[in-house]
Amino acid sequence: MSWGFFKRSGRKQRHFVKEFLESSKRQIPAMRKIDQLSFVVLDTETTGLDPANDHVLSCGAVKIESQTIRVSSAKEWYLKSSKKGRETVIVHELLGTNPTIELENFGQDFLQYLGQSILVGHHLGFDLAMLQKALAPFGFSTFPNPRIDTMSLAIRLDYGLLVDRSRINLRDYSLDALCERFKIKTDDRHTAGGDAFLTAKLFLKLLKIAEKKGIENWGLLQK
Amino acid sequence: MANVIVNRVAEFLKGFPPFSYLSKEDLELIASNVEINYVEQGEQLFLKGDPAQPHFFIVKEGAIALTENRGGKEEIAEFCDQGDVFGVLALLGKRPYVLNAQASEDSLIYLIPVTVFESILEHNSRVALYFAAGFASGQVVVRQDLSQGQIARKALGNHPRDHSLLIFSDPSIIKISENVLTGSESLSIQEAAKQMSIQEVSSIVIVNDQGFPKGILTDKDLRNRVVAEGVSLNTPVGNLMSSKLIVKKSDASFSDLYLCMIRNRLHHLILTEDGTIHSPVKGIISDHDILLSMGNSPAVLIHALLNTQEVSEMKTIRDRAEQMLRYYLENEVAMDFVASVMTEINDVMISQAKIIAVKKHSKNYSDLQEIKFCFLSLGSEGREEQLLRTDQDNALIYADVPKKLEEKAKEYFLKLGTEIVEILIQCGISPCPGDMMTSNPKWVQPLSVWKEYFSEWILRPTEQALLHASIFFDFRPVAGHFSLSEQLAEHIYLEVHKKQVFLNFLAKNAYLNPAPLGFFKGFIVEKSGEHRDQFDIKSRAMMPLADLARLLTLSHGLVKINNTFKRFEKLAELEPLYSELFIQAGKAYEILMRMRALEGLHHGTNGRYIQPENLGKLQKRLLRNTFSPISELQEIVKIRFQLDYFTK
Repeated sequence: MSWGFFKRSGRKQRHFVKEFLESSKRQIPAMRKIDQLSFVVLDTETTGLDPANDHVLSCGAVKIESQTIRVSSAKEWYLKSSKKGRETVIVHELLGTNPTIELENFGQDFLQYLGQSILVGHHLGFDLAMLQKALAPFGFSTFPNPRIDTMSLAIRLDYGLLVDRSRINLRDYSLDALCERFKIKTDDRHTAGGDAFLTAKLFLKLLKIAEKKGIENWGLLQK
Repeated sequence: MANVIVNRVAEFLKGFPPFSYLSKEDLELIASNVEINYVEQGEQLFLKGDPAQPHFFIVKEGAIALTENRGGKEEIAEFCDQGDVFGVLALLGKRPYVLNAQASEDSLIYLIPVTVFESILEHNSRVALYFAAGFASGQVVVRQDLSQGQIARKALGNHPRDHSLLIFSDPSIIKISENVLTGSESLSIQEAAKQMSIQEVSSIVIVNDQGFPKGILTDKDLRNRVVAEGVSLNTPVGNLMSSKLIVKKSDASFSDLYLCMIRNRLHHLILTEDGTIHSPVKGIISDHDILLSMGNSPAVLIHALLNTQEVSEMKTIRDRAEQMLRYYLENEVAMDFVASVMTEINDVMISQAKIIAVKKHSKNYSDLQEIKFCFLSLGSEGREEQLLRTDQDNALIYADVPKKLEEKAKEYFLKLGTEIVEILIQCGISPCPGDMMTSNPKWVQPLSVWKEYFSEWILRPTEQALLHASIFFDFRPVAGHFSLSEQLAEHIYLEVHKKQVFLNFLAKNAYLNPAPLGFFKGFIVEKSGEHRDQFDIKSRAMMPLADLARLLTLSHGLVKINNTFKRFEKLAELEPLYSELFIQAGKAYEILMRMRALEGLHHGTNGRYIQPENLGKLQKRLLRNTFSPISELQEIVKIRFQLDYFTK
């Protein structure tokens, strides 16, 4: 066995990462009704849009169970930055006076919070890529949880599953555009918690529309 | 510091009374416990007569109409828009709703939990007064403009009474008719029907010349066996009557009679002088008599369950059963009666779920329809002790199949099991955190595999095996072919008999349960975590008793008695030396069950954690008294199973 093997496969998995991956092996039966599903709606604020060079500043999340937003589960994490110099100044401006948390503590909290929930977000893929990168030092690679992107869901509900995306004006499916269309007031835009909350309200409405179209269980929703 | 989401909710609430009277801390507390629902136009939030939900409502966006059915027409009694609070009856002694609530446009609704709000009512007199004033004027909706309450008062004025809690107000008002219509076997059908019609009764009891019952003929029999079959009206009743009779003694207690009818699904129960068919008929009681005198009764609920295959309706019925349960508990109805009734309701619900599941999946597996299977309830539900809908523990056995069908059978029965579990989840019974359910392939197995499982646990009692034993040994067949479960029980009996040392392991486990009282006779409470400073009534008091009862009955070679009271009852009989102690232990268990269920109903939880400082003096003493049989029994077990010489 060569040491190169270890380098490629990433760093050693921390206990909390292992525990999380172990517990999320269970699959959700396709026939489970939407009412019985647990979702975590999340959003991150980052220094930029490039997962390779930018990093996560804060993360907001709230849970939905029985098609109800549980405000008591609302969370916001502001990460301590390890970066020094000019970047930190900007960071502090953005973070204001919110207490920050060490990356490792965030990782522990966050994974425990997610559990086996279904992850929901607008452009979810980007947020998860950023979070995966942030957690990589602890031996984390990818989220095993099932996911739903509210943008794709909104498009699917308008055009069906077999849509040709190149023919759609994606600007109509930005979070702002959808909130306007569904009459959701956009306060606190561009804080992680605020955006997660907006996305959660949007998701509740989308779920109702989905149900009307006969998408009533997990098997149909995850398509 | 509160986060953005909580702040946003608090900011909205602050604009409307009574929230505008709250301090910043209280407002934040309320806001952080709000739940948010989105309802579409036309969707119902609650119906008149529904039990109060554990929260009241405030409209965030949209509009809700409160309506009432008057003379077959739906009329709007109140209209709520942004900032209006409604459904506040939930705050008032949990009365059922008096109006229907329906979204008249797409709306966002904030749900405010009553339990959180109650604590604020206690220390904020201004808010308390605000509500008191509203209630005194009979308001349904709390608004900024109090004069609106006048309209509400009118809406309420005509309906002061609430019938939903009339369950069992007074058993003595149930009429047992002593004038029973009787006739001989040779009576013609037509003559029998004529007599019934003259006397305006729904049944005739057929007796011999000494007045002993031989059979019964009811309205339903006349319809099904006579008219539908086109039988001649001259046929003697003896040929058509139901002769399989279940009878009871005429002075049996009401709950005994009633349970007998529920269990056997009888519409009529005949009472005789000595409770056998070899004595004269003394009276008859019909379900109709009972229905008339009750509102929300077990018979009504079971009947309703048997007549529906709509899952949403099943859930509503089960919710109603909870309301009935609360009434029983608060009125100190005997625990074995309460537990039997609730078990029966749960069992019927499971049987219906099974029927729905088979209907849905059988068409794709027509070659497997002859294969017997049996659905088992485990744990507290298996012991017939589940009052609240805590969580599911269940398993499925199917008959061994030929090799070529193995894979297909596995697939089919797992589908059935998963469907049943999902239906029960929708009925409000949450899934088992340990995944001991029929949606887990491990617990859906042919009989031979189940036998291997148990043999393995008995042969190699590891920690895991003992944990399984505490749940699986309390299995009880609920739906399907009970013969499979009996074969399994027989197998377990033989295995335990062969490997007596297994009992020592089980004993060790029962002995190791944490003690309920500390050195200074204070309750031992949880030291950390979510339930800090609370008393875990399940693992510190109930489980030790259930474990001890299971162990001791197993050691007597009894495998078919599942229920903890019945186990102690049987033990008292088998060991006269300790009979007093066993009787006490059974009583203790009853008290604990009642306390836990009341706690759970009160807080909308599973009742497992109790705050000792919230208990009254009497309740504290009662609870403490239940502990003495635990330690005495543990001592007996320690000596009997020589635990001092026995190490793992």
